[in-house]
Amino acid sequence: MRNLLVLFRKDFLNFWRDRAAVIITFLVPMVLIYIFGFVFGLNKTGDAGPTGIDLAVVNLSSDPGALDLVNALKAEKTFHVITTTHDPHGQPRPLTEADVRAALHNNAYRFALIIPRDLIPDEGFGIHLKFLSNPRNEVETQTVNGVLQKTIFSNVPTLLGRSLQKSARRFVGGPRLEAFNRHLADSIADTFGGDRNRIFHNIEAGGFGIATDEPKPHDPALRTLDPASTPGTPSPDAKKATSAVGDAFTRIIHIETEQVAGKDVKNPMAARLVGGYAIMFLLFAASGSSTSLFDEKKAGLFQRLLSGPVTRGQILGAKFLFGVVLGLLQLVVLFVAGHLMYDLGLWQHLIPLLVVSLCAAAACSAFGMLIAAVSPTQGAAQGLTTFLVLTMSAIGGAWFPVSFMPAFIQKISHLTVVYWSVEGFTDVLWAGQSLGDILPTLGALAAISAIIMAVALWRFNRGRIFD
Amino acid sequence: MLTLQSTTKRYGSLTALDGVTLTIEDGDFFGLLGPNGAGKSTLMSLVAGLRAADSGSLALDGTPLGPQTRKARETIGLVPQALALYSDLTALQNLRIFGQLHGLRGRELSSRIEEALDMAQLTERRHAPVSTFSGGMQRRLNLVAALLHRPRLLLCDEPTVGVDPQSRNAIFEHLLKLNRAGTTIIYSTHYMEEAERLCSRIGIIDHGRILALDTLDGLLTRLPFEDEISFPSNDSTAAILERLAPNGVLIRDGDTHRFRPHANYPLSAFFSLTEAAGLSPRIFVTHRPSLENLFLHLTGRTLRE
Ligand SMILES: Nc1ncnc2c1ncn2[C@@H]1O[C@H](COP(=O)(O)OP(=O)(O)O)[C@@H](O)[C@H]1O
Ligand SMILES: [Mg+2]
Repeated sequence: MRNLLVLFRKDFLNFWRDRAAVIITFLVPMVLIYIFGFVFGLNKTGDAGPTGIDLAVVNLSSDPGALDLVNALKAEKTFHVITTTHDPHGQPRPLTEADVRAALHNNAYRFALIIPRDLIPDEGFGIHLKFLSNPRNEVETQTVNGVLQKTIFSNVPTLLGRSLQKSARRFVGGPRLEAFNRHLADSIADTFGGDRNRIFHNIEAGGFGIATDEPKPHDPALRTLDPASTPGTPSPDAKKATSAVGDAFTRIIHIETEQVAGKDVKNPMAARLVGGYAIMFLLFAASGSSTSLFDEKKAGLFQRLLSGPVTRGQILGAKFLFGVVLGLLQLVVLFVAGHLMYDLGLWQHLIPLLVVSLCAAAACSAFGMLIAAVSPTQGAAQGLTTFLVLTMSAIGGAWFPVSFMPAFIQKISHLTVVYWSVEGFTDVLWAGQSLGDILPTLGALAAISAIIMAVALWRFNRGRIFD
Repeated sequence: MLTLQSTTKRYGSLTALDGVTLTIEDGDFFGLLGPNGAGKSTLMSLVAGLRAADSGSLALDGTPLGPQTRKARETIGLVPQALALYSDLTALQNLRIFGQLHGLRGRELSSRIEEALDMAQLTERRHAPVSTFSGGMQRRLNLVAALLHRPRLLLCDEPTVGVDPQSRNAIFEHLLKLNRAGTTIIYSTHYMEEAERLCSRIGIIDHGRILALDTLDGLLTRLPFEDEISFPSNDSTAAILERLAPNGVLIRDGDTHRFRPHANYPLSAFFSLTEAAGLSPRIFVTHRPSLENLFLHLTGRTLRE
């Protein structure tokens, strides 16, 4: 028993001395829990869910209800609503459907709502909207769909009332409708009280007469009508279909959805899944290969090599190159496997995919070198690797879309290897972009590799690995 | 000829080498004898160009040595104190890598590898991973891996640590043969027996300083005594202690007495005295002075402290 206690205490002493172990045990899970919690809306502040997802809105309707809808969308924190673009002279002008389609193709943004001229059609009863998307990211698309529907449905009573008035006018004729409305307003005023003139104007404007003031998009009473706020919103798998949500509104609200980019891809989520996880394991492998530097140092191999005709630069260069080649091989194998499992359309996009993979492998290998360069011991290197790889994967969009994270994390995510690699993979496999299209992404990866590698080399020269 | 002139090396506040000046002639078998932490490996690493000296100079045949001068190092071979081998790879793969790094190719590489495997007595085990080797086998491979490029100056940093007596002898034979063939060797050790057996010149190093540097005989003559006689301390020997005292130094060491006669007191006088006292000559053990004694004399500590 005494021995057991002695050994037990020893394990704790060892554990506390190993800062890397402590970090992995406590800090890494905390960071991940925070990020996941944010994504799944668990945090207490009520500030949960994705924020600032770009949503282009083209309003072709002159109906005041359309403007209300746009304003409601602007008020929704999930969206960053874009309504204008710049003409060649740098002057802002309203977006057109053509602008939006081009931008969706280029992944400038991924969602657009078109409010057509016939928002409230002359024929029939109901309202009509068009939703265009480049759903390169399944989870994000589902969320956007949900929030969009919620906002539209919250505004439905006004729009619908107006539609009702319009069809009534068509059927009964203007003057008689006015008489009818006046009548209705009087009855309401008699029954419930209130100013009959105001009620009359309200009815004419499309209110049902009970609506007192402006419709509130976030009125909790309206939320109960809102089928999109419940989880499990159907995915936009149907590529050109009328969304069928909410029994009462199904037949009167027509949201025409159209997937603008990546139409030929069978599994929109697969590119991210395969790419994201491949990059994560690439980072693990790359830092594993470079922490082997510690083994070689401990074995005294550097003494043998450096006392001979080998330079430090050659030792590091060889390690880096090994990481790049191994990483490229790993990516090729994983993408081929992913293709066999999920049909990624690998062969059509082979060349750009190889180029992105090469850049991603270089960035991952450089990352591994940096870990080796800044870590005093192998244990520290392993701890740092676990911490950074898991956090970078979480915030870099390997597991879920970057747009789901707090704004400041979204900014940091652009500094990660994971973000640009996953961007590159989805650019190529999902959007089918060419080498020319992905140059910015390749540039970002190359720049990150160069910066990381420069820091690593600088650190190696003052670090302890060659001591 | 290797020369060190007031060479100093510090690690932070610790001075590992403290103004070392020495010259090693071509063909020397130079022993660097000192306890752990004396600065032996540090001196080796400076000569091998792994580190730069903080002050002073090192030169091989007049060419300065240092991390930047790779050319001058081509004729140097280092046998590191650690087993500097890729332990997951086979003996053959290891030798091929190190040979290729030294620019050996083709048939020349193969024949040097054969030679090295033969010297290390590993020809049979060439395809086995190094990690499956015994300590002695790994040490032998560690040594021959430094010989592939036929260095003229071989630095052996404690090459027999953790080695069985057989492998140790094989390594000794090998080094002596190389030395006879003209290779200059610097051999560091904390075993004085090794230095005594192998080295033509020996430097005694402690706390980064060379305390004495000479041939073995030259070093031993620095001791104020030449021989030492030990005998059990008991009633029968007690009788002679008084008569020995004026003629040398008497040290009581537990159950033993150790007597170091003055230079002018011959051993014959000692033995006629003990014979007269009726003591059997068998209880007396005569020791030649050793480097151990010298180290003790110079530092007040034993080599293995
Ligand atoms: N890389 C290093 N950093 C700091 N101190 C060191 C380093 N290498 C050796 N030392 C210290 O320098 C002294 C001499 O070490 P070393 O040359 O390895 O001795 P030896 O080989 O004779 O055992 C020792 O006190 C040792 O702790
Ligand atoms: Mg040493």
